[in-house]
Parts: sequence; C-alpha cells; structure tokens
Amino acid sequence: MSFLGEVLSEALSVLANFGPELRKVLWLTLLVSGLATFIGVLLGVPFGLWLGLDRFRGRGLLLTLVNAGMGIPPVLAGLLLLLLLWSEGPLGSLGGLFTPWAMVAAQALLAIPIAAGLTAAAVRGLSSDAREQLDALGLSRPRRWWLAGVEMWPGVAAAIAAAFGRVVSEVGAVLVVGGNIKGETRVLTTAIVQEARQARFGAAVALGVILLLMAVIVNGAITWLQLREAADG
Amino acid sequence: MGDPVTIPGVQHRLPTGLEVSFGPFDISRGQRLVLFGPNGSGKTTALRVLAGTMGSAGGPLHTAYLPQRPYMFRGSGRHNLTLGLSGREVEQAEDLARDLRIFDKLPEPAQRLSGGERQRLALARVLGSDADLVLLDEPLAAIDVRNRDIVTSAIAKGARNRVAVIVTHDRDVVATLADQVAVMVEGAVRQVGSVGEVFSLPSDNEVALAVGLGNVVSGVVVAADPPLVEVDVAGLRVWALGSQSPGSEVKVLFGAETVTVAADGQGLTSARNVWSGRLDAVRPMGRLVELLVDAGPQIAALITPGSLDALDLHEGGSVVLSLKATAARAVSVPGS
Repeated sequence: MSFLGEVLSEALSVLANFGPELRKVLWLTLLVSGLATFIGVLLGVPFGLWLGLDRFRGRGLLLTLVNAGMGIPPVLAGLLLLLLLWSEGPLGSLGGLFTPWAMVAAQALLAIPIAAGLTAAAVRGLSSDAREQLDALGLSRPRRWWLAGVEMWPGVAAAIAAAFGRVVSEVGAVLVVGGNIKGETRVLTTAIVQEARQARFGAAVALGVILLLMAVIVNGAITWLQLREAADG
Repeated sequence: MGDPVTIPGVQHRLPTGLEVSFGPFDISRGQRLVLFGPNGSGKTTALRVLAGTMGSAGGPLHTAYLPQRPYMFRGSGRHNLTLGLSGREVEQAEDLARDLRIFDKLPEPAQRLSGGERQRLALARVLGSDADLVLLDEPLAAIDVRNRDIVTSAIAKGARNRVAVIVTHDRDVVATLADQVAVMVEGAVRQVGSVGEVFSLPSDNEVALAVGLGNVVSGVVVAADPPLVEVDVAGLRVWALGSQSPGSEVKVLFGAETVTVAADGQGLTSARNVWSGRLDAVRPMGRLVELLVDAGPQIAALITPGSLDALDLHEGGSVVLSLKATAARAVSVPGS
C-alpha cells in the first residue's frame, strides 16, 4: 500500500473507533469556539449595525480599524492575551491562563471584528429607499438596528458563519493561551498539530476530516437558509 | 380654522450645488400646504430636511414622513403598517387601511404588494400616527386612477387636525389637495398663495412656466354627459372632461392658451363653451399677452400681440371667449 493509502486507512480506523478522548476534544472545540462566536456576535453584530447605519465622527476610522482587525493573525491575538493573563500581567490575578476560558477570550477577540465588519457591510447594502424609510419611521436606535439586521439577515447570518469558521479553524491563539494540554485545553486544531508533529498522520487526517465536516455543516446550513429565502422572495 | 402652526424653515445645500431654501411658514392647524414645482427644483430635499432624514436632524415638531417610494420591510403588511406606532395610532392606521382598501392585504408578505398597494399602506401608517406635521412626497404617484379619490379623501381626513406638507409636480393634486400652494423653482419658493392666485396670477415668468396653466375655477357639477360634465361656476356654465356625478364639488382646470378670444359672437365654432364677458386687463406675458376677462369668474386667455391688434380689443370692452370642453378638466375636491 502507498504512503497516502496507509494514512487514509489509518484515518478511517481512528474515525471508526471514535473514543472518549476524541469525543472530549470535539466537545471542547465546539464549546470554546461556540462560546467565542456567541460573544463575538453579541458584541460584534450591534457594533457592526452601528458602524453600518449611523453617521458620526470617526466612523471611517473605526471601519478601517475593524476591517484591519478582520485580518489580525490569531497568534498575535493569543500573544496579547498571554501578556495580559501572565502572572505578572495586568490580569494575572485572574489566573485564567491555560484554561478554556482564556481560549474563549482569545477566539472572541478574533470573532468580534469579523462579525462587526461583515454585518456593517451587509447593512450598508440596504437600498437608498430602504434607508430613507428606516430613517423616516422615527424608531428608537435599537429598533432601527434590529429592523435593518432582520432585513439583511442573509448577510448577518453569513457574518456569524464566517466568525465561527474563523475561530474554529485557527490554531495560533488557542495554542498560545491554552497550551494544548491533553484532556484540558486540547481542541481539534491543536490536536492536529500535535499528531502531525509526532508523525501520526492517520490521526491528524481523521481530526482534519472532523474539522472539515463542522465547517461544511455550518456553512451548508447558512447557504440552505439563504437559498430558501431567495426562492421565497 | 385651527391655531397657527409654524412649519420650520429649511436651508440645505445639495452636492449638485443647488441651494434649497424653504419657509418658515405660518399656517393654520388643519391646513394643507402643497409644495409644487418641476422635477429637480428641490421639493423632495426640503421635505427630507423637514423629516430629519437629511441634514441636521430634529425640529421641534413631531413629524410623520411618507417618502416618494415607500419601502416595505420583511414581514406582513400588518408588521409594516404598525412600525413605530403606539397602541392608539395602530387603531387609527387600521381604520385608514380600511378606508384605503388595503386592510385585506395586511396578512400578506408586504414585499409582494404592488407599488400602489405599498403606497396606500405606507400612507395609512403615516396618517395613522399622531404627528403634528405630516409630510407626503408625491402621495398619488403610484396610485391608479380608480383609487385616486379614496386616497385624496383619506389624506384630507388624516390631515384634519394638524398641518400637512405635500410635495407634487402634478397640477391635479394641487387643485385637489391644496389650501395653500408654494411654488418652488431652482431651490427657492417663488410664490405662496391660494390655488386660484398662484395658477391665475403667477408672480413671474418662471412660476408661470412651472404652473403652466392659467385657470382654476371652483364649482358644482350640474349635469353629466360622459365623458363630459357641466359645471356651474358662479353662474357660468363650463363643460369639462370629468366623471363626477351631479352635486359634486369640483375644480375645473384649463390653460390660458387654450381659450380662444373673439370681439363678438360671430363665426361658427365647435367649442361647447362660449362665454361673453368684459375685458378687465391686458398684461404682457413674455412674448404673449394675457387677457383677464370677467365672465362671472375671472378667466385668463393668452393671445399674441398681433391678435390683440387685429381684434381691436380695449380694456372695458366686451369679448367672447370659447373653449373646447376637452381642453378643460374637472377634478374632485375631497368632501370636507
């Protein structure tokens, strides 16, 4: 059997013997990235609605910063948090370093600009008629944001999916602040790095397949909703 | 009439360089000011600034604004009808939706409504609100002919206890809905007055060009002979295109240039309207001259200086006017 063939058959056997260790990694991945996405959406989507809908001084600068933030290298976000949480750092007394909480915080830092930037882009796509009507209704600011967000929900949903896709696939931030501790802070991406480094390619590929499946399921669901919406409209 | 209300003034410079300036106007509560003028004259901009969707927001008055192309958000017609309205306002909007024959469409997805249906629904929302100042941008633009009367009646009813500013470039809307007309040309209000004043006595050539008319007279339909109606205007019988039933209050509109002038009743004519009167005044109007004739109501006629000489007309002398019935239009006045 060729090398790649061997790797593939080994990967299949790992997937077939889906054990408690793998289950724990998968569970922690979903928990950390799900929570980070939730926080990122909670803060980023209203921020994006504000940036996309309201006119105020400094808006252009903020938009530029958010767009730049969408491209921040995960390892740098991890490093920033590491310095903050380090025992001599400003937040060192919290003692959160090398726990899943630190990983959630690091990934949320990555999710916020994605959610904000793509939400702002989505609502800026409102037609001029829709914008004028939105202003004409005389609604309170949160209701105005809500109405615009609902109107452009396919774009907002894509922003949420992109935020989840970004954090679940990154390795730099969780590795730096989580430490890839087996059974405690090991997630799919850090596990792949670990397995690959130790030349257990079959296991690495098996984890990669699971990661890929998660991305396909989330984005497939969003695409399906958007297509159904387009068919209705 | 009600207590006086001040419509705040507007100053706004458009990116095109057009300086739009409007008001302030003092008007009685319950009155409708129609802002009339050609496309691009700045009417919509003035309304947007008043509504706060453009320029520095926030006047002292609570406004409700109907944009030129009302947008329907996702969700049902009812959802869109009630956006931004409180409990009592919702009931008022629902009553108006019934008047505007849109109530049955409320359960449907609003984005599937036709242009006219959207405009009627949005109008019900705007008129249902308790705003002091109602701002309507071309409220009849998307409305088809058979719904015009219900829409104008709803506007008259909905604007009753407050002030309405209505933007239009449609003379029929002016004749139907205006208590006061402000004519806007190139960003500035050139003339303000009653419909009769502004249409019959435009203050300058540009206003005359903008109104492009000359005669607006009020009367009551006395007979119908489809497609014509006979209207009694202060004793003068005027035949015009119209479909109103006898007893209806109407305004009759016709251009001063469509009125034919003769020194006496000699000569055959196919015109239904032949009126005799006394020549009150002769005024130059650009390259033409305008004759103001007392025929019961005052009628304006535009002729060339050559015709004036050939006919040997003098102020105080008698003249005969004729007008084809098809050149005049009778428009309904909403019941007050």
